[in-house]
Amino acid sequence: MYPTHLATTLINETFHSRRLFVALFVIVNAAMLTTGLLFPKGFSASTTILVDDRNIVQPLMQGAAVATEITDRGRNAREAIFGRKIMQSVLEHGGWLNDRPTDEEQERLIEGIKKRTTITNIGRNIIKIDYRDDDAERVFKTTQKLAELFIQASIAAKAAESSAAFEFIEKQTREYQEKLTRTEEQLRDLRSANLDARAGTEAEVTARMNALQVRLEQTSQELREAEIKGNALERQVSGEVEVTAAATRESQYRSRIAELQSRLDTLRLSYHDTHPDIVQLKHQIQDLLDGIVAERERREQMKRAGRSEPDQSAMNNPIYQQLRRELSQNQLNIEALKARIADSQQRLQQEMSRARLLHTGDARLAELTRDYQVNRDIYQDLLRRRENARVSMNLDSERQGLTLKVQEPAALPLYPSGLRFWHFVAGGILLGVLIPVGLLYARLQIDPRIRVGTAIALTHQVPVAANLPHLWSPRELKSLRWELILLTLAVVATIAASAALSVLRATRML
Amino acid sequence: MSKIEKALSKAREERRSLQVVSVPGAAEKAATGTALVTERAAHPETISRMAASELRLLGSDDLSARHIIHKNHVGDVAVQVFRELRTQIIQHSKGQNSVILVTGVSNGNGSSFVAQNLGAAFAFDAVRTALIIDCNLKNPSVHRLITKSPVRGLTDYLESPDTDVGEIIHPVGMARFRVIPAGGRADAQVEHFSSMRMRRLMDSVRRRYTERFIILDGPPMSEIADIRILSEFADYVLVVARYGRTTHSQIERCVSAIGNEKLLGIVFNDEPRIPWFR
Repeated sequence: MYPTHLATTLINETFHSRRLFVALFVIVNAAMLTTGLLFPKGFSASTTILVDDRNIVQPLMQGAAVATEITDRGRNAREAIFGRKIMQSVLEHGGWLNDRPTDEEQERLIEGIKKRTTITNIGRNIIKIDYRDDDAERVFKTTQKLAELFIQASIAAKAAESSAAFEFIEKQTREYQEKLTRTEEQLRDLRSANLDARAGTEAEVTARMNALQVRLEQTSQELREAEIKGNALERQVSGEVEVTAAATRESQYRSRIAELQSRLDTLRLSYHDTHPDIVQLKHQIQDLLDGIVAERERREQMKRAGRSEPDQSAMNNPIYQQLRRELSQNQLNIEALKARIADSQQRLQQEMSRARLLHTGDARLAELTRDYQVNRDIYQDLLRRRENARVSMNLDSERQGLTLKVQEPAALPLYPSGLRFWHFVAGGILLGVLIPVGLLYARLQIDPRIRVGTAIALTHQVPVAANLPHLWSPRELKSLRWELILLTLAVVATIAASAALSVLRATRML
Repeated sequence: MSKIEKALSKAREERRSLQVVSVPGAAEKAATGTALVTERAAHPETISRMAASELRLLGSDDLSARHIIHKNHVGDVAVQVFRELRTQIIQHSKGQNSVILVTGVSNGNGSSFVAQNLGAAFAFDAVRTALIIDCNLKNPSVHRLITKSPVRGLTDYLESPDTDVGEIIHPVGMARFRVIPAGGRADAQVEHFSSMRMRRLMDSVRRRYTERFIILDGPPMSEIADIRILSEFADYVLVVARYGRTTHSQIERCVSAIGNEKLLGIVFNDEPRIPWFR
């Protein structure tokens, strides 16, 4: 199909299929008129709600109160509005329940209202609620009610949310308060049970223990020294006795022996050993030696018997007396030192047992203190949070947190909106022409059969000898005339019917 | 118009047509010599029958009812188109009479309509006559122009050696317009058209009147064998394609079958133009 021939061909084809064309025109118009008549008369009202969560209070309460974050307001609004509660209120308010519909009918009515309600986000903070119905007043009332109920529900939901948050935090705070009190009591008990168990006691105990240890060691040292001294004194005392004894008897024997020996030696120079004097002397010496031995044995026996029988000579020895005095003093000193060591050891034991007690108490104390500190921190944090939540709750109850206000209230629609009857009439006439023309055009595009004579010449390089129009006989022309008149009448009647219906509809007679 | 007036009008028409018939006689002398004159003189009954038939000339309304153009319908586009077509053929034939085969791309394309109206257009001219031979033996239509029936036609002539040419040429109520209908028998067409008798018939009708344009109303191109034989008799071939029926591939086949030598062109028929808008 060449574009230049398109208009001619379309006109020819329209003429060729004139009956179909007119039939389609009439059918399309009839269909559109019927649709228009059945189409519910549409009144629509809309209201816009401004959702302002950035009011003056928020910057003031920065960090203290948390404003509810709403990401998709349109969706939230849709879910809230299409909820059972609001829908039921709308049903009541719109007078749908006057006829006492059954539950199923109510469900259908709600579905209908949902379908006729459009909720859209205009920008970030404006929600638009559109409602359309066939009764202008009901449209107005319902739209108003929808906005009102939505605002109420939103604010109530938000208040409930912040109140729930506050209650939760309040409950937590109470729990932590109890915990804290309990820990405090435990701490108090522990402290009263272990009076020593207080901070710094361990160091004192350690210091005391160290001091006792040092003292104990010093005392032990002193005791050892006193004992050594005592031993030395004892030895000195007994040595002095022996020395005195020896000096008295043995030394006398030895000096007598020496004397006798010297006499013997002198006699031997002159005499033989058999000389009686010599023999006598020898016997005397021997007696003296025996006497020494006997003296020694006696002394040993005395020593063994532990009995010293001081000699009067020894007693009278001033050194001996001095030693005896020192010895008794040293003995006293040793006794005192021993008593002191025992005392120190006992105290050390006491300190050690106290240190052991102290360690056990410390662990418990640390645990309790830790619990106490943790609980106290959390409690303080919760207290702060509770106050924040209280402020948030107050914000919501004072309607300062999330402001929802009707920006543009619903108005009573005076004229029907959306598709009106004349739209259907005009659409019918337009479609009544366009659809057949479109179909014809489609047929021309699809059908390979030739409808333009010159196309043959252009395609096949063959001359077109003649382009013959249909030859009409007078009778055919006559009947064609009648046919065209009838078809025109049909078209005119269709348009007239559409116009008449439009007028009737406009004057509200239909 | 009274019956007497109609009769007078017909008588006038008759006289005029008789004159027309006599005018080519002068041209024949120049063209084919005495042979034809002798032949025509040998068949005085043909002339007399023609004269008798001219008494029943059809009026323009009758012709319109038969979908035949009439020269009085000057404003009719179809009349103009056929006149132009006639002129084209005359120009091609350089004044000589010629045989034109009119065939349709397929059945129902209106080749008979074109053939008959082309004949009528030739007959408009007072110095030319037209003869339509209905060669569409399967689907003949020319006989409808003849009021009386049954009539003898082409197949009768081809099958019966005794039949004279004059017996199968019939007037149809139009001046200078004769037809040979298909006839009563229609068996074995190819053999008919390829027969010597057919050849002789064609020679005969062509030579008898030099002013006569012979139009063969042929079968559609689907009968390709017949078309090939008939195109041998024809000087020109016109192929009729109907609006909204013919595809390019069909045209392509026709063009390749006939060849450019004899193909005068395509007649695009039955365009649905609104009659009162030119």
